[in-house]
Amino acid sequence: MASEKELSDFLKSVEKRAFKRAMYAVRDDEAALDIVQDAMIRLAEKYGDRPPAELPLVFQRILSNATMDWFRRQKVRNALLKNFSDFESAGNDGDFDILETLEALDGSTASESASDSVSRAQILLAIEAEVERLPARQREAFLLRYWEELDVAETAASMGCSEGSVKTHCSRAVHALAKALKAKGIQP
Amino acid sequence: MKNQNSNFSTGGLDALQARFALRVTARLSEGARELPHDISERLRVARDQALQRARLAKRLEVAASVQASGAGAATLVASAGPGSSWWLKLASAVPVVVLVFGFVLIQHSHVNAQISAAAEIDAALLADDLPPAAYSDPGFVEFLKAPRE
Repeated sequence: MASEKELSDFLKSVEKRAFKRAMYAVRDDEAALDIVQDAMIRLAEKYGDRPPAELPLVFQRILSNATMDWFRRQKVRNALLKNFSDFESAGNDGDFDILETLEALDGSTASESASDSVSRAQILLAIEAEVERLPARQREAFLLRYWEELDVAETAASMGCSEGSVKTHCSRAVHALAKALKAKGIQP
Repeated sequence: MKNQNSNFSTGGLDALQARFALRVTARLSEGARELPHDISERLRVARDQALQRARLAKRLEVAASVQASGAGAATLVASAGPGSSWWLKLASAVPVVVLVFGFVLIQHSHVNAQISAAAEIDAALLADDLPPAAYSDPGFVEFLKAPRE
């Protein structure tokens, strides 16, 4: 059972990344803050008694659901809707092409020395823009797997899909990012 | 190049992917650390609110468990053995007996009070001077004619 300090420390450690993740999805500061606040409250109210080790996975799941809820509300209100269709297209994972990914990775490694003159802030903005442009499921898988450092099984559990889908989403995300950043002459 | 790439094992591919991804996410972490102050503050407030809700939820949980344990104790008492059920029935009848006894007592004292009030009135009437109009009352005349014990 997580103590109040453990819960507080956990929330403190994830809140900024959670905000960024929500921000990449909804592209609106206020909405992203609302989503993160909603997720933190849901975690604290309903899962605050879980052991500390379980909190990261539960929180990521809650955050994903809160983001989905936001999109649903937007749909109901007939307001701006971005990338929602990507949340519904979880089934097209069967055509993973390992050679395609290899090519992309080769391109990314070859371009590693191409961005010496680009400032750190500009690189960050460009990377963030490309992350935002990723399809929602790919972005979610990529961020959970590599930013939140969940393993494949945990990422799959958090996203409610198979481990194979997670691997495919991650590969495609890496491929897309490498290609886009290479095109901009950016080396992360 | 493709031939060269095809020599990569799946493990090597995963490692390359992971290396690239971690470089990207390291940049993202830099961005997350440098959030504007107002956003950081609002996140802090949101965290505080969440913790407050957690405290409230915990308190409610404790209250609910206390209530549940109270109900459990009552159930335990109610489900005690057949020997004790007689005592329980007897104990539950005691308030009813006390109530009935109380009613009888009140009724008795009320009747006594009425009797003593009537006696006082009669005594006052008898001790008082007789008004002349009393002799025109047929009832009083009958009273006077009646044989004394």
